[in-house]
Amino acid sequence: MERILRVNMTDRTASFEPVPETYRNRAGRWMTSSLVHDEVSPTCHPLGPNNKVIFSPGIVTGTASPTSSRISVGGKSPLTGGIKESNSGTGLGRRLARLGIRALVIEGQPKEKGFWLLKIDAKGAAIEPADAWAGKRLSEVYPALFARFGGKGKVDVCSIGIAGELRMAAAGVCFNDQEGRPSRYAGRGGLGAVLGSKGLKAIVVDDSGAKEVPLADKPTFEQGRKKLADALGEHAITKPKGALNSYGTAVLVNILNEAGGLPTRNFHEGRFEGAAKIAGEAIFAGNKERTGAEVYNHACSPGCVIRCSNTWHRPDGSEHTSCIEYESDWAFGANCGIDNLDQIAELNLLCNDFGLDTIEIGGTLAVAAEGGVWRFGDGVRAIELLHEIGKGTPLGRILGNGAVVTGRTFGVCRVPHVKGQNMPAYEPRAIKGIGMTYAVSPMGADHTAGYTIAPEILGVSGKLDPLNPDKAELARNFQYATAFVDSTGHCLFIAFAILDIASGFEGTVEECNGVLGTAWTMADVARIGKEILDLERDFNRDAGFTAQDDRLPEFMRSEPLPPHNTVWDIADVELDRVFGA
Amino acid sequence: MSIEVRLHGTLAATRPGLRAGDPFPVELSGDATVADLVAALTLAPEDAHLVIVNGRILHDRAAVLAEGDRVGLFPPTGGG
Repeated sequence: MERILRVNMTDRTASFEPVPETYRNRAGRWMTSSLVHDEVSPTCHPLGPNNKVIFSPGIVTGTASPTSSRISVGGKSPLTGGIKESNSGTGLGRRLARLGIRALVIEGQPKEKGFWLLKIDAKGAAIEPADAWAGKRLSEVYPALFARFGGKGKVDVCSIGIAGELRMAAAGVCFNDQEGRPSRYAGRGGLGAVLGSKGLKAIVVDDSGAKEVPLADKPTFEQGRKKLADALGEHAITKPKGALNSYGTAVLVNILNEAGGLPTRNFHEGRFEGAAKIAGEAIFAGNKERTGAEVYNHACSPGCVIRCSNTWHRPDGSEHTSCIEYESDWAFGANCGIDNLDQIAELNLLCNDFGLDTIEIGGTLAVAAEGGVWRFGDGVRAIELLHEIGKGTPLGRILGNGAVVTGRTFGVCRVPHVKGQNMPAYEPRAIKGIGMTYAVSPMGADHTAGYTIAPEILGVSGKLDPLNPDKAELARNFQYATAFVDSTGHCLFIAFAILDIASGFEGTVEECNGVLGTAWTMADVARIGKEILDLERDFNRDAGFTAQDDRLPEFMRSEPLPPHNTVWDIADVELDRVFGA
Repeated sequence: MSIEVRLHGTLAATRPGLRAGDPFPVELSGDATVADLVAALTLAPEDAHLVIVNGRILHDRAAVLAEGDRVGLFPPTGGG
């Protein structure tokens, strides 16, 4: 039977309950946003006892469906003050799904100081002290936890790092990849700090003895699974040795640079002179030179056929870090003016080790450089600043609380954020649809809320001019479709294939029907997506957000961005039109 | 006329020693189009999925190029 597992951190008790009928078909983001909407007071302090952290694997997670091992993490964000859903690829969600756990709710708050560990297996859930694991780098914690609990093939681990323990608003929630590396993150929005506020250091899930995820209609599931697998295998972006498998997501560096939309040195320019030195192609070439072999990318989580997760190797050929995603590469590279991949790799590694969101921290360093804390391009100093965060020094705690806090501390008015969350790696003045998405997403500035880059830049699912301002409908439709995909348990990257290959999208819906016994059609995708966005926008409204929060920063309206020398010129009424009044 | 070309992704591998994103000149006749440039580089038309000319994405392969244009050519690519 499908269950919800509640863990009360006030008295460290755990209990199971059936999934209520109203939540019967909800999973992933649909589940986390529903529970946050229904159970968390919108006005609560994000780090207080009334906030909750919800984990939920997607609808098809744990089945044989390809690229479906995502887990959603939700709560009220200490970074934005609004609702948050952040998701990650990991085997942990599969194990939860196989144990019949549709949602894991972490609630309450201990009165005493300390950290605890939650162990979940077929027998139930147990909580034990975890102070021994606190204060350590995650590259030490994960191997130790695997050794203690039976190995990386037997369990998967979720943990916060030092940043979460210190309740920093840029703290992410870390999961391991298939090699056991602490490298996969539900990074955005500071949910690691919320776990830290509840004293929950780590979660270990062992699904030994669990049954297969039940299928209500196996033939329909199989039909859908095959359609999706065929689409992923056929599409040039997602197929084996296609762009994502060869060069990783960082292949985008050169594209955005050519398009004039690669934010550089805290969003002062749209092109970075060092782009070619940090791009995915340079990572591929550097690895080949240093290891003597072509290094193709690996799957971050079980069952992924896209396999886009990269590694970067030191001059002696040993592995330095995984994974240098496009966003991380950009955040520490172009946005900090650093063109040295070894320094970018070290910054990436330190974020993974301290439990930090790379996008927020890269953006924060850029704001700090603007405030005179260090000089753009000085990678050695940037690494020292990351260590300040890891040591929890006063400067480190300012930086660890993100770009807005850092900008306020150092008197910087150019902070590229929406709702307190720093913008990711696409410049809104050069790409209008993604700017509209940043503005109106309930998550704050978030490219994954509706990846309009696909039609605006990549020529996927249409060919639109990025500078054309008429994008309200696009921003709306992409957010609805994305909220649905985020609920299926699929990685958002399946969108590249299913937006171009209609049978792949049909297959995705059929898989859900096969698991749930529903009769959804393509029309239900937008209906469900809208329902999720409505829940999230309701929560934010009740938390105090207004239309004035659905705006980009003032400086973008007046500062032309080279090379196009365009400003943010979308009227506020256009932004309000995305979701209507 | 001379065009400043950058090849990316797997397209760069078609020219030994070229690093993706490094510019090199290509000489074309005065009325050459994007399609002519792709042909001059001995690339299959479908391989040059994305063409960016002076920062603008051009989907029209019949578009005429001009002296000094900066052209980036990309295979089908995604990420995020």
